[in-house]
Amino acid sequence: MIGPGAWLISFRVGGAEAALPLGVVREVVARPPLVRVPGSHSFVSGVALHGGVALPVYDLRQFGPFWSGPRPAPEGGLAAPGEHLIVCDWGEARLALLGERVDLLEPDGTDPAGRAGPDRRCAVSREFVSDVVRRDDEPVVLLDPDRLFASLGVPAAGPPGAMEEAGEDDPAGR
Amino acid sequence: MKLLMVSVGKARYAVQADVVMRILDPAQEADFHLEGSQAVFRGERFPLIDLHAAGEEGRGLSPLYLLLEGARRRAMVSVDGTEAIREVPAADIAPLPPFIFPRPGRAFRGVFSDGQAPRLLLDQDGIL
Repeated sequence: MIGPGAWLISFRVGGAEAALPLGVVREVVARPPLVRVPGSHSFVSGVALHGGVALPVYDLRQFGPFWSGPRPAPEGGLAAPGEHLIVCDWGEARLALLGERVDLLEPDGTDPAGRAGPDRRCAVSREFVSDVVRRDDEPVVLLDPDRLFASLGVPAAGPPGAMEEAGEDDPAGR
Repeated sequence: MKLLMVSVGKARYAVQADVVMRILDPAQEADFHLEGSQAVFRGERFPLIDLHAAGEEGRGLSPLYLLLEGARRRAMVSVDGTEAIREVPAADIAPLPPFIFPRPGRAFRGVFSDGQAPRLLLDQDGIL
């Protein structure tokens, strides 16, 4: 459940209206050039260079468990027009989600997933939904970042230095 | 660090130049041929690493072969072209986060800016 006045970042992905707590979102940027990384998870669309950091970009449309039904077909190809990166800080890790129609959202009210369930029109798996909020009477699923990022393989948010201990290495082999 | 820029299908990668022992063009090397998953050069057999398959790239008509020497072994890597050798400061190469890979072994170690798009740096320790 979210408290009153809790700001969210909403976005559209695969036909679903979703949102993340503003606290985990670092910034929203226009989609930069990506390079696909062979051998990475199929739902990693690629990597962007962002402020000198390799930023993994996740396409939730390609992440099967995210959807309660069949995965949505990409709208307008893999790089939909108007697509943005929602850059998130998660512990020591930084990652981005692809999304369209990104907006700041102060919900009108909540509709707990446990009571009404994710809206029938919403195809996002219940597992990743912590709440359903309303915007102009339209449902927006509030994603649970703990569950979502863990399922994407992103290390859990932990104390500073956790990623270094986890073995992030030096590309120059130093 | 000096990097050899290569192309594999539509993808563009970089290889640390000091691990490239030779660049072989089969059309000009009488002592070179392929036998299944191995390359044979002057009677010596080398494992063949196919970056085309790793990147789901179509194979070019006239591949070149890089003979790479790592700490543990030598291997041949097929590419479609070599573009240039360029000095790229090590600090400009951003490490790839390990959590994007489902398995520990990986073919690429970092990424750097190369004009319009980022370019991946091959991880010779991961593939050799």
